[in-house]
Amino acid sequence: MMFLVAAIGLLVAMALILVRLFAGPTVYDRIMAGNVFGTKTVLLIGVLGFLSGRPDFLDIAILYALINFIGTIAVLKFFRYRTIGDALPSEQDT
Amino acid sequence: MTETILTLILFAMLVAVAFAIIQMRQLFAVVLLSSVFSLLTALLFVIMDAVDVAFTEAAVGAGISTVLMLGTIALTRKRSAERTRSDILPFFVVAVTGAALVYGTLDMPNFGDANAPANAYLRQDYLDRSVTEIDVPNVVTAILASYRGFDTLGETAVVFTAGIGVLLLLGGLAYRRAEDDEES
Amino acid sequence: MSAVIDILSWVCIIGGVFFSVVGAIGMLRFPEFWTRLHAASVAESGGMILLVLGMCLQAGWSLILVKLILIGFFLFVTGPTSSHAVANAALVSGQNPVVAKKAKKKRT
Repeated sequence: MMFLVAAIGLLVAMALILVRLFAGPTVYDRIMAGNVFGTKTVLLIGVLGFLSGRPDFLDIAILYALINFIGTIAVLKFFRYRTIGDALPSEQDT
Repeated sequence: MTETILTLILFAMLVAVAFAIIQMRQLFAVVLLSSVFSLLTALLFVIMDAVDVAFTEAAVGAGISTVLMLGTIALTRKRSAERTRSDILPFFVVAVTGAALVYGTLDMPNFGDANAPANAYLRQDYLDRSVTEIDVPNVVTAILASYRGFDTLGETAVVFTAGIGVLLLLGGLAYRRAEDDEES
Repeated sequence: MSAVIDILSWVCIIGGVFFSVVGAIGMLRFPEFWTRLHAASVAESGGMILLVLGMCLQAGWSLILVKLILIGFFLFVTGPTSSHAVANAALVSGQNPVVAKKAKKKRT
């Protein structure tokens, strides 16, 4: 019951964040919304585990927490330097 | 019951994200939305107890492919070109293919059906045999690396080739662009 | 004893859901990027900590508790970091915060 409330609340929050993700006038709104959506996904995976009575699959939530962080940093790096790899900007800087 | 409702809500979000991806012209937003799409897919996999598939989806869908797509955008343009041709023929092809795929699923056993071949005898067979035959305690590993060894070898070769291809494409293009910049 | 833990985790989870939904509403309703960032932090840190705490209380002493603490720790570290990175990138790109006068004008 408790986790059902949590799951419903998280789903509502995810739906609202999706709207911001679709609408987001600037790119940074979208990045922020995507990041928060990832956090909500991690929490929902945990809650779903408790909801189905088998919270042993939390490893995947850990993986998601890390992947989400890496994804956000990669996106932001792309936005600041216009590339993912290291070689190009350092060559241009010199 | 609750699982059905959760699945339906997640599928509704999935469809909404898919339509938004089609509508977007700004390619960067498309990349972000496709990573959200893969997060939703993985949630569905978790609900269906396919945790290993969800793991793969997390690593590949939300992680690597986002980075690769961003690398591609960095080398090309940021907006997709306006479509000029009509959409009717592609839509027809997609609709027919999708209908054929849905028709194909009708022959498959129901989700979690106890009489399905995979559940009826194959699983028990593997569980019994793998310890004595392969001597690996993890049954999934025994199946992947030994019973289906050649299959896994082929998959690895495909992934390896794809990785080399991506490296050549991205690296080669970046190199050429740097040369262009120097000349101009 | 278990009733006390149940009540505590109810409180935590209701609080977490409250903060998550309020943060999401804020992200939807606030007028511009910098104010939305505040709402996002409410959802991301406040809601997350309370929800993980509620789950921890239900998990009891087991491996699950360790995993939950790991998840909470990662999110606790990475959430503010990526929020800061977004804000920094936005500032560098020239997204200036709207000052009070402009904000009033925008709201009308």
